[in-house]
Amino acid sequence: MSEQYTPPPIYPPSSPPGSSEPPIAKSTAPSSKVSLRSSQFREEREKNWMELEFLIDRTEKGGIRSLAASELERLSVLYRSALSSLSVARSIALDRNLLVYLENLSLRAFLVVYGPRSSMTESLSHFLTRGFPEAVRSAGRHIFLAFSALMVGVFAGFFLVLQNPDWYSTFVSEAMAGGRGPGSTREELEAVLFPNPGDYAKNGGLIGSLAMFATALFSNNTMVGVLAFSLGIAAGAPTIVLIAYQGVTLGAFIAIHYKQNLTVELLGWLSIHGVTEILAIILCGAAGLMVAEKILFPGRYSRIENLSIHGHTAAQVAIGAMILFFVAAILEGFFRQLISDTAIRYFIGGATGLFWLLYFLRPKAEVKSV
Amino acid sequence: MSTTSSADNFFDRPQAKSVRFITTPEGVQLPVELASVMDRLGAFTIDFLICIAIAILFSFPLYFISILGVSGNVLSALFNLIVFIVRYTYFVQFELVWRGLTPGKRIIGLRVIDRRGGPLMPSAVVARNLTREFEAFMPLMVLLSAGSLNAGNFGQWLSVAWVLVIGFLPFMNRDRMRGGDLIAGTIVVRMVTRSLAKDIANSEFHYTFTDQHLSAYGKFELQVLEELLRRHGQELSSHMRPGVSAAQAFKASMESKHMINEVTEKIRNKIGWLEPIAPEQQLQFLKDFYTAERAYLERGQLFGMVKADKHQELKRQEVPPTENNHKI
Repeated sequence: MSEQYTPPPIYPPSSPPGSSEPPIAKSTAPSSKVSLRSSQFREEREKNWMELEFLIDRTEKGGIRSLAASELERLSVLYRSALSSLSVARSIALDRNLLVYLENLSLRAFLVVYGPRSSMTESLSHFLTRGFPEAVRSAGRHIFLAFSALMVGVFAGFFLVLQNPDWYSTFVSEAMAGGRGPGSTREELEAVLFPNPGDYAKNGGLIGSLAMFATALFSNNTMVGVLAFSLGIAAGAPTIVLIAYQGVTLGAFIAIHYKQNLTVELLGWLSIHGVTEILAIILCGAAGLMVAEKILFPGRYSRIENLSIHGHTAAQVAIGAMILFFVAAILEGFFRQLISDTAIRYFIGGATGLFWLLYFLRPKAEVKSV
Repeated sequence: MSTTSSADNFFDRPQAKSVRFITTPEGVQLPVELASVMDRLGAFTIDFLICIAIAILFSFPLYFISILGVSGNVLSALFNLIVFIVRYTYFVQFELVWRGLTPGKRIIGLRVIDRRGGPLMPSAVVARNLTREFEAFMPLMVLLSAGSLNAGNFGQWLSVAWVLVIGFLPFMNRDRMRGGDLIAGTIVVRMVTRSLAKDIANSEFHYTFTDQHLSAYGKFELQVLEELLRRHGQELSSHMRPGVSAAQAFKASMESKHMINEVTEKIRNKIGWLEPIAPEQQLQFLKDFYTAERAYLERGQLFGMVKADKHQELKRQEVPPTENNHKI
């Protein structure tokens, strides 16, 4: 502090300790003028605090944009001076009202100065171009683990149903099976895989597609994805189980088509949106596992502290996966019904896969720091 | 001053257990008050109702689609989509643009902040609202479908259990964080605006005190006296306020005067002030004593000597005062 506080005269007269004179004071006319160090300090700084308070009041009401550029500059200067006032006041003042006021003022200014400045569209574009791919790249181990869990599930489901078709009804709920089961004939399965072009109009055309998109978005898979991420808080085991269980369902599905020699056709039918959707499920699982890792192995921090430091990356992976689910729902709603040629289906599936691969793994050199 | 048994009850300050400290990038610790679970529930209810209203507004076009003869399934799917988009953008957009506020939080006086005092990142905002899907909206749906629960459906029971675990999460951790706060590294705090009251230190003395007088009390008693004098000032000025009847004001001022008398006598006894103080002089005496005591203790503090309350000795402070008992 550059300010100099001349020691004011304090409660005169002060009798030396141990003086035998009994402390009897008389009520007299105003005897002495006194100025407290902390009162003096307050007088000197008060104008700045009031100015800061005025600026904060305005931003709290009208947003940060209601301030002119010069006022913004002033705001950050005043914020720092309020913090320094608080530090000084904490060491020299015992006026509680003053301390509480300065703490409150500093906090309010802090929230304005360090608040997020970006709108939803700005942060979304930043997220899509940088945040998401980077987060995915850093989650390699977790993605591998989630992928393994899914594949284990697929194989288990496939071979179990192949051996004993009774397993099918255990793995796949009726709503999801949509009437398909081990008892279905080849014709019944084909009818789902290759819908009659006339059905498109019958199902409501574009609005029907939109509805299907909406249904797909809230389908089981999206819910499973978000649940897999959220369950990461529970140390990860439920996440693995959930992902593996999705694999089991898929495997069971493949098994009934395999029996009727429709595997290639089924995979084509699935690949249009499935490449994106399965990737999204894996990413959600990976994000859940990242959360679990931070909780299980906190290192030098407390578990909660560690999560709050590293949780952002996991959250970014999960948020990106939501976007993938969105894309998958569009593909499912609008394209799966229209395209009934298996080769074209594989082409679309492959193209989406390639797109995601390039998106996530494109050279880092492209990314320039802001 | 035994008129107060506990500091928390006397001051208008939050219970110590709900105060946390964040450290600004400049290295200054600032106290924040955690929002209570009930406050947050209230804020969420307001936001939820606003969301429903917006979703209904946006759903009017569906009415025209329904004239075209689209099946009910399609309509409900589209409605779901609209509701989803509305509730999601609502929370994220507001918390980003209003810096941690939504209309509900604004009305109740809450705010989302970073637990460690950093800036509130957009990714944190999105993450804490993504999990809201499973903490609030899914439980609501489960509750709505509770009537159709049957013992055989394992999945439904699992989701009920999930709802219970997640629903009680804010009660189970010290910082009252829900799942989304845990992942995003945020806490929800209660924001109040404090104003700077007039300094009540006198600039002129009628009474003078010695070190012996002043060493009887410590910082705590000084601040209790400050609060008392401030309240007394408020009660005297309450005559002017509308809505306060003359009788009420008179009663309040009598109680306040009685309090002043009581405290004056206590202080006189404690510090050994032999001369009696006339009733009309008591306020002057207390203000003088407050000023002198504050000057005495502040001078001590400047030299690193601290006396926290009347039971403690004036002693050298070992380390800078760390109020951060609840490290987060």
